[in-house]
Amino acid sequence: MRIGLLLSLAWADYRTEARLSICAVLALTAVITPLLVLFGLKFGLVSTLTERLENDPAVREVITLGGGRYRAADVALLSQRADVAFALPRTRQIAATADLSRDGGGPALTVEMIPTAAGDPLLALAPQPSETQILLSQSAAEKLGVRPGDQLGARFGRRQNGQVESRQLGVTVLAVLPLETFNRDGLFAPLSLLEAAEDYRDGRAVPRFDWPGREPATVGSRVYPGLRLYAADLDGVESLRQHFAASGQEVATQAATIAQVRSLSHNLNLVFWLISGLAVAGAFAAVVASTLAAVERKRKALAVLRLLGFPTAALVGFVLLLALYSGAFSLLLAWLLYAAAEVSLNRLFDTGSGEFVCQLLPVHFLVAVLATLACSVLAAALGGWRAAQIEASEGLRDV
Amino acid sequence: MLRLRDIHKTRGAGSQRYSLRIPRLDLAAGQQLAVVGPSGCGKSTLLDLLALVLSPDASGEFSVELDGGYFDIAALWRGNQHDALARLRRQACGYVLQTGGLLEFLDVRGNIELPRRLLQLPMDGRVEQLAAHLEIADYLGKRPNTLSVGQRQRVSIARALAHGPRLVLADEPTASLDPANAQRVMQLLVQQAQVSGTCTVIATHDEPLVRSAGLAVLPIDWQRDADGGVTATLGQWR
Repeated sequence: MRIGLLLSLAWADYRTEARLSICAVLALTAVITPLLVLFGLKFGLVSTLTERLENDPAVREVITLGGGRYRAADVALLSQRADVAFALPRTRQIAATADLSRDGGGPALTVEMIPTAAGDPLLALAPQPSETQILLSQSAAEKLGVRPGDQLGARFGRRQNGQVESRQLGVTVLAVLPLETFNRDGLFAPLSLLEAAEDYRDGRAVPRFDWPGREPATVGSRVYPGLRLYAADLDGVESLRQHFAASGQEVATQAATIAQVRSLSHNLNLVFWLISGLAVAGAFAAVVASTLAAVERKRKALAVLRLLGFPTAALVGFVLLLALYSGAFSLLLAWLLYAAAEVSLNRLFDTGSGEFVCQLLPVHFLVAVLATLACSVLAAALGGWRAAQIEASEGLRDV
Repeated sequence: MLRLRDIHKTRGAGSQRYSLRIPRLDLAAGQQLAVVGPSGCGKSTLLDLLALVLSPDASGEFSVELDGGYFDIAALWRGNQHDALARLRRQACGYVLQTGGLLEFLDVRGNIELPRRLLQLPMDGRVEQLAAHLEIADYLGKRPNTLSVGQRQRVSIARALAHGPRLVLADEPTASLDPANAQRVMQLLVQQAQVSGTCTVIATHDEPLVRSAGLAVLPIDWQRDADGGVTATLGQWR
């Protein structure tokens, strides 16, 4: 039995009954198209929200609360973890301030000092400062009226033996950070500068800047009260939270926000599968009915085919092919309609950020194609079985 | 070629019962004969049995010798070997139905070519030749539903002969035609079957027509039994 002959016979019959065929195609299209759009919206929305979370480093930040005690070795161990993207110790907050002023005096501005190092997720696009270079937040730069390349004086004060004293260090503004990176008055500098400021305020000497005091701290003995810690991805936030909870360290994370998007995705999935279940059941019944009706209508033709010596499998194949043709055409039509809906929806909700509210991947289309064709064949199977039961001797003599 | 001994077929029960008995029937290559009897006497049942589309009751002998091969039809039916029967049917059999039995979704050419395509035979001009002899060459591109009944019957005859079968069966091929047309179609069928040396069995109620076409006649006798059912028996040469 040649497949080609069967294909062309079924196609001739499908074409002859063009009106009924078009009805079958439209009925299937009416189910497939809304499902494609619905899934496109769900997938587009969830992936947009997830992408936003993934692209915002603040979401991946894990902030240690209360006083911790971390040594450089602890931090190095932490940054070895697979779920950690960036880990850097902080010096004591009270020691991590600087009074900035332009060369030649002027009013001083007290800013926070934040340690940074290579790989800082907040400063992905900014250059890396060396010891006497700083990255200045936009608000601080505006208040001081400085631009990248300008020189500033950073003054650190301490009270020792009842006397207030201070030292000034000349620093270069390497870059000014945009507002969305850091919205307070602050500077990002290498950890070594913050350690020097902390040492000086603790009354220790900093020989490399020629600042006087007690003998300097020994390497590796320093205890840091906190960390700047970023998870490698969204899942890492939760695993890091659990890691710290296990050691009794309280942390603040965006885990709740992430869980919200995750649960939205989960609930939308449920809604989608519920709707598609109902719709597919309806479409399935429609295909079953139209196939059974087709077998009744074509009883005589099927009996003639059997009389001519078509094997049973060919008769079943003939009926299944009719359903497959409808499935294929409705997929094509649904895809065209979906493409139009996708374009207009994305235009309607255009945020100008290159995000898509409605989108489908090629693999989604592939799944839609396979599911539709499989459902068509399955639904037509009953009709095929009925066709196989037709005896050549019956129906031949009905006029 | 075909050998039947004590083949029975019964349908229904009680007063609705209908039985066909074939005590003995032998068909040889090139033989042409007509089965004659009134409507409802079992001619179609006989033809369906010969066309291998109706199963005989489990009794008797029914065998086919074809191109040196031997097939026990009764055994094939008992073994439910429908695909083997279908293969024999498409190789050895052509069937002309009273109403043509043409496929409406194919044009005339498609209908006539179908048995050849099914056997993957080459399109060697046989279809055009048959169409010319049967005077339907002008209609090859038309749909069957645009033809007259007489034309449809001739298309049906062309389809039954297209693949050069050993056996052609025709069930009341002229019943829906006017006498002049009936005579012509019967003539064409007998002629074309003769030309290709095909064994032909024609069932009809019109004995004068087949006699004028020069066919031997087999009668079917029937009688009502005590239970109200009907038993028909295929007769012998007459």
